[in-house]
Amino acid sequence: MRRMILPAAAAAVTLLASTACGGGQDGGGGDSGGPQKIKVGAIPIVDVAPLHLGLDQGIFEKHGIDMEIQNTTGGAQAVPSVVSGEFDFAFGNITSIIVGRSNDLPLTIVANGVTSTGEQGADFGGVVVPEGSDISDAKGLEDKTIAVNNLENIGDTTVRNSIRKAGGDSDTVEFVELPFPEMPAALERGDVDAAWVVEPFLTASLNNGATEVASNFVDADPNLSVAYYFTTEQIVNQDPELVDNFTAAVNESLTYAEENPDEVRRILGEYTEMDSATIEKIRLPRWPTDGYKKPAQSIADLMMHDGVIEKQPDMDKLFQ
Amino acid sequence: MTADTTTARPPARPSGAGGRPRAARRPPNRALLGTVGVVGFLLVWEAVPRLGVVPARYLPPASEVLATLGERLALPEFWTAVGDTVMTWAIGLGMAFAAAVVLGFVVGSVPVLRAFTSSTVEFLRPIPSVALIPLAILLYGTDMASTLLLVVYAAFWQIYIQVLYGVADIDPVAEQTARSYGLGRMARLRYVAWPSALPYMLTGLRLGAAVALILTITGQLIIGTPGLGQQISVAKNSDATALVYALIIATGALGVAVNVGVRALERRALRWHTSVRGEEIA
Repeated sequence: MRRMILPAAAAAVTLLASTACGGGQDGGGGDSGGPQKIKVGAIPIVDVAPLHLGLDQGIFEKHGIDMEIQNTTGGAQAVPSVVSGEFDFAFGNITSIIVGRSNDLPLTIVANGVTSTGEQGADFGGVVVPEGSDISDAKGLEDKTIAVNNLENIGDTTVRNSIRKAGGDSDTVEFVELPFPEMPAALERGDVDAAWVVEPFLTASLNNGATEVASNFVDADPNLSVAYYFTTEQIVNQDPELVDNFTAAVNESLTYAEENPDEVRRILGEYTEMDSATIEKIRLPRWPTDGYKKPAQSIADLMMHDGVIEKQPDMDKLFQ
Repeated sequence: MTADTTTARPPARPSGAGGRPRAARRPPNRALLGTVGVVGFLLVWEAVPRLGVVPARYLPPASEVLATLGERLALPEFWTAVGDTVMTWAIGLGMAFAAAVVLGFVVGSVPVLRAFTSSTVEFLRPIPSVALIPLAILLYGTDMASTLLLVVYAAFWQIYIQVLYGVADIDPVAEQTARSYGLGRMARLRYVAWPSALPYMLTGLRLGAAVALILTITGQLIIGTPGLGQQISVAKNSDATALVYALIIATGALGVAVNVGVRALERRALRWHTSVRGEEIA
């Protein structure tokens, strides 16, 4: 009999365990009194430092929000996770949000996410070429192969724009999709002629001898906001108070981060795995709390130009 | 059979001690070779970046990676991640095993049902679990459940197919003997079907366990559900190369542990079976 008991018992236990874990635990708002529980999806990179700082400094708590930050692996999951209600809010890049909106997903931006430094050659993202390359400016990128992290997204649309602005032909460029962490190696091997990278890989590439040839965000708009915090219209309609509190808390956190770069570098050591030498060196973005709506239109225009979207998104609906 | 085994192993064996002497002679050798193999591998790994064959910023030397791993072992977050990974793996494998055994026995013992489902199974089985990631995210977001979906799907087929074979392998003579002795349906299931199918089930469990771990890590890496895979993704995004390798080694160690564990379970549950017991008594 014992022979039979062992596997049967194991199966029963795991079944019990799975049903116990499967039930309950749905995100979403708490009911009465006390801070409201929310889940926010954010990729653990430099851009979301204010969110982690705000949590660390009790800014969200002060606004009546008990926030849990869930690490995501990129904007691609952020949109469906917000639409499905798993996240109450998420950090997502502007093109993913615009694509969603132009496909009639009810996405609404509630706060700024991260903004270009606006300085040529000193932004937190840019196009780099390997040591010894004969490309020296954006026009030189014509006919070349450039790595971007996602095709038909903010990387290729803004890089094409930089090439056009420099007087080049953007139609002859070939873009290939590569994850940021793999770009420095691909550049060095010569698999690609250039790569669009963001921090910490921009600093890493420059340390390896790469040269920056374009600041594609700055070219698109010196005040370009690359990403935003967004939610759905349902949440805005159901719980406007929560959204107001979240926006207020994010804005306060953005300002805190903007005013305390040392704090930003400190928190980077906690939620990322960057080593202290890297954290010291990387260029930080800006985190302003206003003036971020207009540049979104520039991106929508670029996306229309490149045929990434077929109709202009309703900007009034996109921004709360 | 008996004659065969004795001639095949000429050295005198103390009677009654089973396979012991053989076991005592070989393993030290194997362990030694294994150690030499690991040490050799580590030396090559240490040398390759130091000699500049591959830049150290893409492949840090073994010593640096092992030191990073050592630091990690002291951190509670590491063990939380290990716990999340093991839990996702165990729940997923458990669900797949339970479902596969129940369905396998039911479908396997009704020929009509088996014929009716076989083409569907042959279509569904080769679908790579990874292809279900977008579906998993739509259904469950970045919750553990979406990784579980991948794990259960992949591990289920491994076990299910084995159970089907196991049920089909029941000796018809034994089955009819049991019938003629008047054993009821439940008794035949218990004394004929179960022992025949058990070795297959456990083989399925072993295959499923490995696949389940692969999909657990994949899900965490790509979807971002909590665990070692997600930590690898964070380290990657932070350009922390040594840490990426250290965490990969940790997942490898977990894989070895899983395999050793399932094999031990297999030996225990099948200690009566010829494959484990040896053929002395047969």
